[in-house]
Amino acid sequence: MRAYLLRRLWQSAVTLVGVSILVFVILRVVPGDPAKMLLPEGAPPSAVEELNRHLGLREPLWVQYEIFLRSVVRGDFGQSFQYRAPALRVVIERVPATIALAVAAMALTVVVGVSLGVLTAVRQGTPWDYGGTVLAVLGQSLPNFWLGIMLVLLFGVTLRWLPTSGFGGWASLVLPSVTLAAFPTALVARLTRASLLEILGQEYIRTGRAKGLGERRVVLRHALRNATIPLLTVLGLQIGTLLGGAVITESIFAWPGMGKLVVDAIFFRDFPVVQTILILSATIFVVINLLVDLLYTVLDPRIRYG
Amino acid sequence: MSRLRLTRRHFLVGGAAFGVAARPRPGRAQSRAPAAGGQLIAGLSERMLTLDPANHYSISSTSVLRHVYDPLLDVTNDDRFVPALAESWKALNNTTWRFTLRKGVRFHDGTPFTADSVLFTLKRVRDNTKLIKSFVYQDIDDVRKDDDFTVTVTTKRPFGSLPAHLTMLGMLPPAAGAHEEAFFTKPVGTGPFRFLSWTHGDHVELEANARYWRPSIPKVDKLTVRFIPELSTRAAALRAGEIHVIDRVWPDMVATLKATAGIKVLDTPAVEAQRWHFQLAREAGKDPRVRKAVSLAIDRNTIIKELLLGYARPVVSPIPPGLIGHTTLGQKPYDPDRARAILKQAGFQNLTLDFVLMKDLYPKQLEIAQAVAAMLGDVGIKVNIRNLEIATAREQRTAGNYDLFYSGWAHMPHDPDWYFGQWFTRAGAEKMTRFNDPRVEQLIAEGRVPDPKVRQQKYEEIQKILWEDEPEIWPYYSVAIYAISDRLRNFEARRDYYVLLHEVGIA
Repeated sequence: MRAYLLRRLWQSAVTLVGVSILVFVILRVVPGDPAKMLLPEGAPPSAVEELNRHLGLREPLWVQYEIFLRSVVRGDFGQSFQYRAPALRVVIERVPATIALAVAAMALTVVVGVSLGVLTAVRQGTPWDYGGTVLAVLGQSLPNFWLGIMLVLLFGVTLRWLPTSGFGGWASLVLPSVTLAAFPTALVARLTRASLLEILGQEYIRTGRAKGLGERRVVLRHALRNATIPLLTVLGLQIGTLLGGAVITESIFAWPGMGKLVVDAIFFRDFPVVQTILILSATIFVVINLLVDLLYTVLDPRIRYG
Repeated sequence: MSRLRLTRRHFLVGGAAFGVAARPRPGRAQSRAPAAGGQLIAGLSERMLTLDPANHYSISSTSVLRHVYDPLLDVTNDDRFVPALAESWKALNNTTWRFTLRKGVRFHDGTPFTADSVLFTLKRVRDNTKLIKSFVYQDIDDVRKDDDFTVTVTTKRPFGSLPAHLTMLGMLPPAAGAHEEAFFTKPVGTGPFRFLSWTHGDHVELEANARYWRPSIPKVDKLTVRFIPELSTRAAALRAGEIHVIDRVWPDMVATLKATAGIKVLDTPAVEAQRWHFQLAREAGKDPRVRKAVSLAIDRNTIIKELLLGYARPVVSPIPPGLIGHTTLGQKPYDPDRARAILKQAGFQNLTLDFVLMKDLYPKQLEIAQAVAAMLGDVGIKVNIRNLEIATAREQRTAGNYDLFYSGWAHMPHDPDWYFGQWFTRAGAEKMTRFNDPRVEQLIAEGRVPDPKVRQQKYEEIQKILWEDEPEIWPYYSVAIYAISDRLRNFEARRDYYVLLHEVGIA
């Protein structure tokens, strides 16, 4: 186990260095000049040149990478071109909103998705099942920009129950997290239903029922626990997506999260911000993947890493 | 700052448990039903990037920072330059300006505004070439303090648009120089509002400066500016009564907003002309007959009426009305038959134009480009619309890989010198349109003098040449559209797209 952990950590480090090189090179290879994006259209070429020099973009690529790597080791991700402030600070300022939204959406996904999955599985073939399946299909197929705007119009503009946009207070969290959770909730519901149905047909479940266990105990204790393995894989990947991929939801709700920040940074060729976010999210992905793999061993004692 | 930390901690802790307490968000609690006279909330289309007035040309940042810092001069919505921190100014000769400063003005921290502030601000923006506005001030030779309230500025060459540019430069206290980074996290200016806090990407909070040098201004105690880039969200927040004013309304949103009780839509001709420029070194753009044919084939009135729903004005000269140099040269005709004849005569049978767009930058631009493609198709010109991400489009322009480029020019300082200098001098246009006409270049140089009569005359001459030569297509003057709560008093829809709320109150 210890050797396995060390090997995984080493692999993670290699992955992250690889990501940093890839991000660094791709950003500088795509067309687009950061100084031109910062200066207004009427800036003379000499000003563009001067600014690019100030931004350190006139050094050879490998020199730029070396400087970058040295700084990153010191915890310095460079100055954001756009915000004229340390890139790490710019990114960290978006962390609270990003985490609040991701956690809320994740909680909704787990609670609603799993409940819906269990309900549709145990009531297979009943109106409950059909209703739940329709909801799941809707959740997966409604584009979230449409869903978001509809929710804003209904609950924000017409009923005025909830704020239309912005970040502040629990009320502002409701509409964006519902919008963001719609897809993964549906995914989780369908996945739970499918794997639960498969497990409920197995012999040890019949044995459990035969020895007189209550249905609730059979489903929740014996079946659901085994159904969580594929679920965990999907949820692990979803956390990463929720943290970094909420761009559309963030746009609709003017949410100051990292998704929109990175997209804007890419459009404006704000290299330090893009690098910081991508390296941070790669780190998060790697760590979550590792944790998920370790959690398997807790949930299913048959899984062992050597 | 403590407010900011509280919010953040509160979210990290509370958010993680999904049981975030129902603490009202700053600027939001009251926003459900704003208190009379109390708090004004604006929703702007772009996020603010910096608190340094010399380090951006962003319209949103200006809309916020004009409330915190005052410039030396101000410009009214009818393009008059009026005193702000300078009581008067005068060109002593073509390269010397004298500014007489207002007495008794204090920064928010109590220090007096004097000539030292002007010296510091102007020298900083000229000498620190990292600053975004620095390139504009490179022509400044010296800034001299004659006494505490008189400053003389000398320039390396005539700089007639200096007063106009100074409307865009907030004055800083000299003490800012000692610890710039710290200063710009909690800046002080002389403006009608004091800076309170900035939640990045979300909102800025300002409070009234009770000692503002203009009497009975501001009209509200607190000003919150929220950043809501998505128009439908911005409009929803206004319709829900959460905010009082939004900018950058698109024509097709007007009907919805007008139909909502309690909301007014205001529009005004902007200081912006749309201008689609030709690549003048490429086969098509090089030939004046092709440019003429393209111009004749475009039905500008249909674009204005059908696609922009009337929210645009026909162009009668490259410089929009109100600005120095504007003149009337008549509207460009729509005559597809003549366009066809010219092309035939010139021997252009299978002409194809690359029309490059900067993605999502201008209202309805893709629809308009498609309409133009159809109009040009009608006279036998095939159009390739290339809708590119902004940075890529600009790169393509530098490389010269386009025939026609979709763009607009907002004369932000309410002065056309910048536009001419950029697009119609050899140095400026070299990596853009490849425009090169020594006559025009000479006139631009002559038009840089301070004398408005000379400038008007030179600019009229330049425009006559351009109007004939058509290095650009000027399809329409833009219109700025805003929507406000009908409880706002004194709101002025600005031509320069700024949201300025100095004199705005709430009923």
